[in-house]
Amino acid sequence: MRAASSVPKLSRQWPPSTLRRAWVTLLALSLASTLLTMLPAPPAFVGSGILILALIKVRVILARYLDLAGSPTWLRGFTFVMIAFGCLILALFLI
Amino acid sequence: MSDTSLIEELPGELLMWVLIISELLVFGAGLIAFMGIRLTDPAGFAEAQSHLHRTSAAFNTAVLVTSGFLAAQALHWRRTARRSAARLALIGSALLGVVFLIIKGIEYTGKAAQGITFETHPFFMFYYLLTGFHAAHVLAGVGILLLVAWRDDVRNIEAGAQYWHMVDLVWIMLFPVIYLLG
Repeated sequence: MRAASSVPKLSRQWPPSTLRRAWVTLLALSLASTLLTMLPAPPAFVGSGILILALIKVRVILARYLDLAGSPTWLRGFTFVMIAFGCLILALFLI
Repeated sequence: MSDTSLIEELPGELLMWVLIISELLVFGAGLIAFMGIRLTDPAGFAEAQSHLHRTSAAFNTAVLVTSGFLAAQALHWRRTARRSAARLALIGSALLGVVFLIIKGIEYTGKAAQGITFETHPFFMFYYLLTGFHAAHVLAGVGILLLVAWRDDVRNIEAGAQYWHMVDLVWIMLFPVIYLLG
């Protein structure tokens, strides 16, 4: 019973290039976050940018590493909650 | 017409997702508390944060996302019957976890040498609690990755990789809040 219900999950696969793209994206976004802190810009701008980049990284990990790209409803749900969390952190930062 | 329920759409074991959500809630609550306490002394928090080494933390982010990539790649290889490649990728992933812990250890040692402890400032209490708890998860993850490299059933690797990605996910949120938002 357990094995039968798992067949669709195990057959879900993405091409290796999809994973590589996700990894390169994550590295680039991490570098961008660090570079952003060096900009002579207002803290509100830098803080917002850093959190937006973090949320994009979260979405990439959820979609590609954790494979939620094949479960769009769950991906949308997780993304919504993480965006709400990011907005709360940003609001606390900007107060 | 598909009869797949929403729960069945989740990749891997349901219990792993329960664990992932629980861990995200725990760390999320910790970060919200951190930002809440920061409101009482923003200048003190910014000053305390200036003692952190952003470059090594950024390097650790690269280490962890690369480790996560290897874990995800291992699952792909195991599903396509490339068993040895999958095992090597899992061992590589675990080794990068060890690199993360070594860098974290150097960071803690540096703080200790400066006399910075839990009691120095509320910032450091949260810093040690959140990054230390995360490091404990990394340590457990290294053991899990090595275990699933040995017992390399697809389900085991999938569960191990999911745990590792959760550790990755938590760090992706810890890093900007603790190290960058000054």
